[in-house]
Amino acid sequence: MVRTICGERAFRWVGIGVLSAAAGLAQETVLPSTAIRIDLPKDSPVALLTLDPRDSRFTARGGAIMVDLDALLTMRNTGAGRIHGITLRVVSQEVAMGGKASVCIPRLNIGPGEVFPVHIVQHLVRPTAFASGPLVQVSLDGVLFQDLSFYGPDQLHSRRDMTAWEMEAQRDREYFKRILARTGRTGLQQAILQEMDRPQLDRPMMLRTPAASSAALAAGERSERFAFVSFPDSPVEAVDGTAVVAGNQVRAPRILVRNRGTAAVRHVEIGWLVKDPSGREYLAASVPSSQPDLQLVAGKTAAFAQDAAMKLSRNGQPLDIRGMAGFVSQVEFDDGRVWVPSRQNLDETALRNVLPPSAETLRLTGLYRKGLDVLIAELNKP
Amino acid sequence: MRAIQHPSEAALALHAGGDLGPIAAWRCARHLQRCQACREEIAAFQGVRRMVADLPAMPEIPWSRLAAEMQANIRQGLADGECLGSQAARTVGWRRFTGLRAAAALATLTVVVGAGLMLRHPPAARNQTVLQATADGIQLSQGGEALGMKHDAAITNVSYSANAQGSIGESYVDPLTGDVTVTRVSW
Repeated sequence: MVRTICGERAFRWVGIGVLSAAAGLAQETVLPSTAIRIDLPKDSPVALLTLDPRDSRFTARGGAIMVDLDALLTMRNTGAGRIHGITLRVVSQEVAMGGKASVCIPRLNIGPGEVFPVHIVQHLVRPTAFASGPLVQVSLDGVLFQDLSFYGPDQLHSRRDMTAWEMEAQRDREYFKRILARTGRTGLQQAILQEMDRPQLDRPMMLRTPAASSAALAAGERSERFAFVSFPDSPVEAVDGTAVVAGNQVRAPRILVRNRGTAAVRHVEIGWLVKDPSGREYLAASVPSSQPDLQLVAGKTAAFAQDAAMKLSRNGQPLDIRGMAGFVSQVEFDDGRVWVPSRQNLDETALRNVLPPSAETLRLTGLYRKGLDVLIAELNKP
Repeated sequence: MRAIQHPSEAALALHAGGDLGPIAAWRCARHLQRCQACREEIAAFQGVRRMVADLPAMPEIPWSRLAAEMQANIRQGLADGECLGSQAARTVGWRRFTGLRAAAALATLTVVVGAGLMLRHPPAARNQTVLQATADGIQLSQGGEALGMKHDAAITNVSYSANAQGSIGESYVDPLTGDVTVTRVSW
């Protein structure tokens, strides 16, 4: 009897049934442009000209709903200033867990009346059916202008990010121009190739940990102290810091900083480096000050902490973390100005061999792939 | 001619993991010395064990429970295999791995690997909020939900960043627009 039920024929029919059910449940639908809502304020310095949903799809598979948004927005600079960066928030009200996603285009150079594209590719998965209304909402978080003035609600702190990227861009562009002037084509080529050969950890993975237990050491964990790299011109210095380490996992960084300048500071970020057994360093993450408004006045110290945990690996192998280092990677003053380490800072401390390329360096290496002459033409632009 | 009495698949599976009792292990080892087919079967089971062992380390996994449940799953899978398979005397050689027996072996393998993967992400961990970069983007996931930003899979020059406050980002040159694009997902 048992053998009859479990027999070959029954086995085949069960298989056919499962496959048929799976095929029936997977329904893919083209996502209409009405499923995407673009919200721009009335006084926005950018306007939406067209929205092309391209290959956007909506798929129901099993109990899950998937949205694959691949949209190309064409926007126009309707303001009077030259746009150097734009950040858009991309949200779905239907994702119960929350979360924020954004797309930013730094290093734009869009004059008044000019048109530019923004490409958004987003993936959403939700276990139950969606309610009515747009599946994806895109809204403006901010626009950065050439003079570093800013427009937008800045819910994602895009003003600070885009300003920092702009500072890094000016720094790195000047560096490559100097290299070209000093060493010619060959020197520029070598410098670009060095930039393209930075050691990176594998793709990052971060877990949210309960804040209450983050400081306590669990079995196998140890508290590791940061060794800080100091820059002479940094307005803030990192004084002390620890994090919890276990094998290839790091978590709960705690950092003490001091404002050694004269201007009040409202945000600090620390670059967090980890060392493997051979002493080689890799950038693991940045640790931002946790308070929304730090208010670190001149001469004062402040402590901040984060509770995320990270797993680090390199070339598919867990990284055996043997030490940590840190450096002040970004400071935002009360008046909105942003400080980033200079090229000299990075060169003198060998950090330039560790840090990933800036947005501008990424752009310039992209141009180099089209040809050295294309890169030189770009650097020769005023 | 007397047919060879092979150990059961369950015995071979347990022997591969060193989980047989001393007498049964001795009898099994004695048989293996003269049976190529069973040695191959042992090697296959050991391969599965290695594959599960090679999964990335997750310190929060209760390994003892994992091992116990894997053993239970092996036993259950083999019992299912017995149910599906013929009760007739076994024939030695490639024919043993065809038809329902091969399906049973595949089912067992699937159960073992599936159990390993499930236990690697136990229900508590699956409900944990995870930010990670994937082959073609970055995403925030929790339970059955995910929110992510993607890039063209053909792009190889992608620079990742992590922020300990709970966000990860990626930078790349978008081939469609030619612009550097920075996407970010945060909790």
